[in-house]
Amino acid sequence: MSHSFSQSSRLLFFLLLLPFFSWGQSKHTISGYIKDATTGEYLPGANVYVKENLLGTSTNGYGFYSLTLPDGNYTLSVSYVGYTEYTQKVNITKDQRINLTIQPKMVQAKEVEIVEKRIENNINSTDMGRVDISVEKMKKLPAFFGEVDLVKIVQLIPGVKNAGEGNTGLYVRGGGPDQNLVLLDEAVVYNAAHLLGFFSVFNSDAVKTVDLHKGGMPAQYGGRLASVLDISMKEGNNQKYKVDGGIGVIASRLTVQGPIKKDTSSFIISGRRTYIDAVTRPFIKSTSPTKGSGYYFYDLNMKFNYRLSDKDRLFLSGYFGRDVFTFKSTKSNFNIRIPWGNATVSARWNHLFSNKLFLNTALVFSDYQFESNISQTAFNIKFASGVRDYNAKMDFTWYPTIRHTMKFGANYIFHRFSPNNTSGDIAGEELDFGPKVYLYAHEAAAYIGDDFDVTEKLRIHGGLRASWFAQVGPYTQYIKNALDQKVDSITYTQGQLIKQYPNVEPRLMMRYTINKKSSLKASFTQNYQYIHITSLANQSLPTDLWFPSTGRVKPQFGTQYSLGYYRNFKDNTWETSVEAYYKTMKNQIEFKDGTLPSSGVGDNLDNYLTFGKGEAYGAEFFVKKALGKTNGWIGYTLSWTTRTFPELNNGKTYFARYDRRHDLSIVLTHELSDKWTFGGVFVFASGNLLWLPTSVYFFEGKPVVNYGERNNYRMPPYHRLDLSATYTPKKGKRVQSSWNFSIYNVYSRLNPYFIYVETSGSPLFGDLKNSAKKVSLFPIIPSVTYNFSF
Amino acid sequence: MFISACEREIEIELPDAEDLIVVEGSIEPGESPVVVLTRNRGFFDNFPSNLEGFVNEFVIQDAVVIVSDGQTSEQLSFTVNPFAYPYFYYTGTTLKGEIGKSYSLTIISNGKTLTSTTHISAAVPIDSTWYGLNPFDSTEDSLGVAYLSITDPDSIGNAYRLFAKKKEEGWFNQVAGSEFNDDYVNGQKVIFFAGQGEKPFVASDSFVPLNYFYNIGDTIILKFCSIGSKELKFFYTMDAALNSNGNPFAAPTIVKSNIEGGLGVWCGYSPVFDTLVATK
Repeated sequence: MSHSFSQSSRLLFFLLLLPFFSWGQSKHTISGYIKDATTGEYLPGANVYVKENLLGTSTNGYGFYSLTLPDGNYTLSVSYVGYTEYTQKVNITKDQRINLTIQPKMVQAKEVEIVEKRIENNINSTDMGRVDISVEKMKKLPAFFGEVDLVKIVQLIPGVKNAGEGNTGLYVRGGGPDQNLVLLDEAVVYNAAHLLGFFSVFNSDAVKTVDLHKGGMPAQYGGRLASVLDISMKEGNNQKYKVDGGIGVIASRLTVQGPIKKDTSSFIISGRRTYIDAVTRPFIKSTSPTKGSGYYFYDLNMKFNYRLSDKDRLFLSGYFGRDVFTFKSTKSNFNIRIPWGNATVSARWNHLFSNKLFLNTALVFSDYQFESNISQTAFNIKFASGVRDYNAKMDFTWYPTIRHTMKFGANYIFHRFSPNNTSGDIAGEELDFGPKVYLYAHEAAAYIGDDFDVTEKLRIHGGLRASWFAQVGPYTQYIKNALDQKVDSITYTQGQLIKQYPNVEPRLMMRYTINKKSSLKASFTQNYQYIHITSLANQSLPTDLWFPSTGRVKPQFGTQYSLGYYRNFKDNTWETSVEAYYKTMKNQIEFKDGTLPSSGVGDNLDNYLTFGKGEAYGAEFFVKKALGKTNGWIGYTLSWTTRTFPELNNGKTYFARYDRRHDLSIVLTHELSDKWTFGGVFVFASGNLLWLPTSVYFFEGKPVVNYGERNNYRMPPYHRLDLSATYTPKKGKRVQSSWNFSIYNVYSRLNPYFIYVETSGSPLFGDLKNSAKKVSLFPIIPSVTYNFSF
Repeated sequence: MFISACEREIEIELPDAEDLIVVEGSIEPGESPVVVLTRNRGFFDNFPSNLEGFVNEFVIQDAVVIVSDGQTSEQLSFTVNPFAYPYFYYTGTTLKGEIGKSYSLTIISNGKTLTSTTHISAAVPIDSTWYGLNPFDSTEDSLGVAYLSITDPDSIGNAYRLFAKKKEEGWFNQVAGSEFNDDYVNGQKVIFFAGQGEKPFVASDSFVPLNYFYNIGDTIILKFCSIGSKELKFFYTMDAALNSNGNPFAAPTIVKSNIEGGLGVWCGYSPVFDTLVATK
């Protein structure tokens, strides 16, 4: 036994050392940063490669690259979508720092909004189910109420589904909305939606890149089963001051950026606010019984960066956003005020240890709070919930040889969850709702991942992530008997370990190039998810609570297999792909039957949860025309996803809420002239599943509805066409402006937002009536937005 | 934004509903058990428009209904009383409820067998009752509610349900939202309030103050009952289901029955009574 162990560990040792061997030939390293020539923004994901042998790398999240090559003469090429390809002859005889700036192509979009990194990158990379999005190009597409929303564009990608009309919630490959990791400058955004999900919290003016992983998740990401949406904010122009803005129908935006010290430091501040409330206010009579009611949201993005030296850079970024809903009834002296929103702060330090080793260290704070304040006369009551994280992380990028790019690092998060805290008073006298309840947890992970060009045809990404989660005190755990009565409790002191979960998550992705035009890819990944949302309602609401794994709630565990074929046509003008996936999900969570919204108060929420498993499979078809005056894509997904819970639906397997058989998106833009660009989006999707009653009975003379099998009703299909025209007049002396005219839902399809049932009346009076009602939100909505920049 | 929201009634096709038997059964100390048996019906089916139609189409009249206390059992017989709710029910003559005993219920109808058990616990006495004007309207000078206070015994698992009637009314009506247990108030003083009870077969979707509040001069009789935890869970979820009727954002509320093989409840009640006159 020990013999074979030592043999296998020797082999492992050899494999790990493999990157260090230099094969007898003198080698040197060129490294540096790739920047935008006009703004000085560092460009993540730019391709840097050597034309002679087509080997290369891409810049990391901070625009850094490193290539180690045998001495000699090479042609270095840098390509990045939306930028002119840059080439430079280099003679490598010693280690060199080569920082490069590349020029953006002229204003009009030659590429479509969703882009792959290298021109042939969809063929070459090991990434499966990965797309990144050029934000600048999004503005040519139709916009809902004139507000460009990057999450809505993400929803047009095959495998990603919107959660409903206008909703920015994402269902990725059969996963729930809590299974997506949404990051803004490395800070987790717990609720990425404004106004019940109609707008995402991301202000497109402040966003630099959007990167979505829906298939194989590389080892540096973890903590969610379905996807990662990684969003980076702009750093701010370090060459000159710039003001961008937009005036729309319901909201306006303003962004100011510029150098603090040219080439060394810069800032960006971007704000956005809706003004539905301000617009409607003059029309509400001062005597109106609901004067003072309204809704608005605002958000603010800020970022500051400072280059200490060629080796060190500092970044400080923050996001703050709030939604506020108010309702006032003067007649009954009744007031409701519901504010909710996110706040994040990220402080980061980049350090170059050598021309091969890059380190990013980050301290991140992330907070989501939801509050509901209700008052009537002398009676006040407040419900508060939320989640708050303190996060520290270190991420290394190491380029040992040209065939390897390794990423490794560690991450620690301290979580504080407040599922539902109630307080209140009557005429100033405090009401007793018991002590505030918080749940605390540690989450940590260490990972290593390697992108390895094994041969010219075979590239492998192998990764391993070790993750650990622990719920700690202070906490009171209630023990209940079969009659649901609290019979005992266990009290844990501060920091005392309640339950811990150590796990290992392997990640493997590979690409085999068949020829220059086509490749095959496969991936196998396993993920654990330690924090959860589950919802009682048929819709996602801001009231949905995050809660941790506990002694009773085990971490969710997902395994995904995917296989893809990629093929480009006509000199890469057309890109096509087919990906198929199969996923299993263990320890899925739902509320037990009979749980009420008030059930968790004064109790542990996990006493009301029940556990089961899930399965998802499907195929995604993607055809994209990336070049030319007319471009766009068609994405189609055929998919299934089910859940099986022993305690729900009599143990019978049922289709999950996220099940959607067909999902089609067609996106087109056409550049008619320098001044006019047209865009169109068409979507068709099978209807969402709802759980509706199938029968009525009478109890004590009242009609009561009885539910049939879970998710027993599929709403009618969802389809919609949006069109847009963007007019860009010739640049004035100083101001560049454009007008975006959009029509949302051109043929005014009344798509169901939800369907609900109602029973009224009495059978003894002949007026008993059972009815189903469909609520549709948005008929045809034209909008216009004026964008400017100077 | 919501100006553009539009709601319309639509016709939808729901999956066929399973045929189920609904039990509305109770037993009290010194009284014979009372069991009402009805059927469910598909959500969009036609419903009868009068009492006769309701009886013919909903009420199950030919079931075998047996109640047992473990030693003696009695088969109940179908009875009609057109003057007082529940009008059509099964009841007996020999077996009467007793505090401290458990009762099993067996129903055989149309090839189906339903079973359940319940228990009659000790009654918890009323400390006091009084009348108060509507607290949410400071200008109110006659309409109000009855209050009732008890001291919860120092043991967990006490659950309650409250009924009320005006002296001249023929039967007690349940007070909506009165079901309650001592999870958070074990051993403490608890105050209940009661408007007029919910009358059976009257649509409650339009709120009429005179149907809810008592008026000065009314003689009010309160019936305060101790019940079991499983039974409480039924009433609690039933109330939530009724309240979420027609609320589009409400979660599907599953009513937790204590009947094996059917819907509804088999509940032992242990009541105490008090009478008060509404005065300022």
